[in-house]
Amino acid sequence: MPARVSLKSLKRRGGLFEGIKSNIQALAVGVKYFIDPQRSTLLYPKEYIEHRPGYRGFIVFIKDKCISCAACARICPSAAMKMVRVTEVDPKHPDKPRQKQYPVINYQRCIFCGYCVDICPTEALYHTPFQDVVYESLADMFLTLEAFQLEPGRPSVSEGSPVVYEVDEERGLIKRRR
Amino acid sequence: MEGQKLQGMVVRRVEKELYEVFIGPQHPGSGHMRIIVRLDGDVIVEADPDIGYVHRTMEKLSEVREWLKPIPLLERMTIIDACNITVPYVNALEKLMDKSPPPRASYLRVLLCEINRVASHLYGFGIFGVFLGHSTMYMWAFGDREVFVELAEILTGARLTHSYPIPGGVRRDMPQDFPEMARRAVRYMRGRLEEYRRIFVDNPVIVKRLEGVGVISRNKAAELGIVGPNVRASGIRYDVRLAEPYEVYDELDFEIPVFEEGDALARTWVRVEEIKQSLSIIEQAVDWLERHKGEPIIPKEDYDKLPKLHREVYEKTGRVKLLPAHATMKIPAGKAIARGEMGRGEIIYYVESDGGTTPYRVRVVTPSARNAIVFKYIVPGHRLMDLPAIYGSIDYFPPEADR
Ligand code: SF4
Ligand code: SF4
Repeated sequence: MPARVSLKSLKRRGGLFEGIKSNIQALAVGVKYFIDPQRSTLLYPKEYIEHRPGYRGFIVFIKDKCISCAACARICPSAAMKMVRVTEVDPKHPDKPRQKQYPVINYQRCIFCGYCVDICPTEALYHTPFQDVVYESLADMFLTLEAFQLEPGRPSVSEGSPVVYEVDEERGLIKRRR
Repeated sequence: MEGQKLQGMVVRRVEKELYEVFIGPQHPGSGHMRIIVRLDGDVIVEADPDIGYVHRTMEKLSEVREWLKPIPLLERMTIIDACNITVPYVNALEKLMDKSPPPRASYLRVLLCEINRVASHLYGFGIFGVFLGHSTMYMWAFGDREVFVELAEILTGARLTHSYPIPGGVRRDMPQDFPEMARRAVRYMRGRLEEYRRIFVDNPVIVKRLEGVGVISRNKAAELGIVGPNVRASGIRYDVRLAEPYEVYDELDFEIPVFEEGDALARTWVRVEEIKQSLSIIEQAVDWLERHKGEPIIPKEDYDKLPKLHREVYEKTGRVKLLPAHATMKIPAGKAIARGEMGRGEIIYYVESDGGTTPYRVRVVTPSARNAIVFKYIVPGHRLMDLPAIYGSIDYFPPEADR
């Protein structure tokens, strides 16, 4: 069924009585929320949000799964993912070092689109469900291969308690402690 | 008077009895732009929208990115309406590739588009409220918008930059508990709209500021070529979802509200009515999606190409993995035009391919770019205090206009 046009027109305002009524109505709504306010403010950092598993947060690299295909670096729309060449011990020939390429990430550029995670043919990348990570300097945001393999530290976890947001029919977004 | 500074503006004398006031460019309202108004007393005799402060060369940047990469880029034109702004681009690619999304993917796109539309209108209301000095509306609208932002986050994994549609389908299926959540949000918002009406739209103070202000007649609206809720408030029955239904809009049962008054109050009401319609579309979409569980969200020929691991991930999490071929995808040479209806009006994409891995040309015409002209032709003749009312009522968004 295609969309229909519905022609409407503005209500013509009545006289003084109508004006007084509307004023009282507006004030009544205000008073209602003055007595029973609806609050959903996150008291960060005393509280932090625990996102659902699908959340596209900081990315962690699992080196053992990587096949060095460079697909993640090629798809990255903001050129945040780059391949680096490293020399490492070959598990099959421990005496012969081998050269391999692995991705590293630059969080100064990453926009968390998740393309790299979705394109990786071996699921060597995954999203952590959080975004509240801080770095002391811009240079720190260019992760090394070692740092990229660790889940980034999240200071809010040690300082606050987790909350989740839920949609409620009566009160909109409500905050629940876990 | 020479060089006198008022908060946020510099006033200088231009000619006898005429003052030139520069409003902006540092974020006077919803983004960086400047309106140069010339005042006689406090009556505006001339208004000049000075746009372009947030021009980011979106069209050019799209030309140097592989086909999938402009999606997260173009979103940034209107970050609060991300799905609506990318769906037509993806539709244009699909036309070139001769691919069409399965119905479930189309419904998911429409679902996110309508969630975005509600969020975009609420954002508009918030800004409008603060323009009129009604800070309650500002807090409420932004608080309630959060409900829809949360829904979008649960669906796509990101609050605003969803990057949801891809040629042929969408990137994720909806979580199991999503329909219930969406229904709760819809019921909540319906109740809230009634309260919005009482405290804002029907509030005599607001009505006095809006009624008969910034009247755009039907002819004028057509002549200026404005789009979206603004043109529908002037009695013109134009909505892309009506004129050229895309995705599954022709299967859904909804109304296009049209008002005839053409003033700021009518434009406000169009948005209120549109939110109601969007809520109904959200309900219809989740109902359909629940009835058609397990249907594919990417075309069958694409699914067949997926390796085992990719299928496992899809079955388990609903996440569609991309293939390495997507990074270097080539699209057959050709030209395509696609359009869609965003929260603020019609968006048009012209995409040209020369058969390579990047677009040859991407032309974008956004609704705000077409609505900016209202400042020039409608504002003169009003008092200075009517300017915020008109600005807020046309819901102008500079980053979208400047591209
Ligand atoms: S999430 Fe997106 S921007 Fe960030 S590294 Fe991955 S592909 Fe690049
Ligand atoms: S896409 Fe995956 S497997 Fe390929 S280089 Fe990147 S992380 Fe390694």
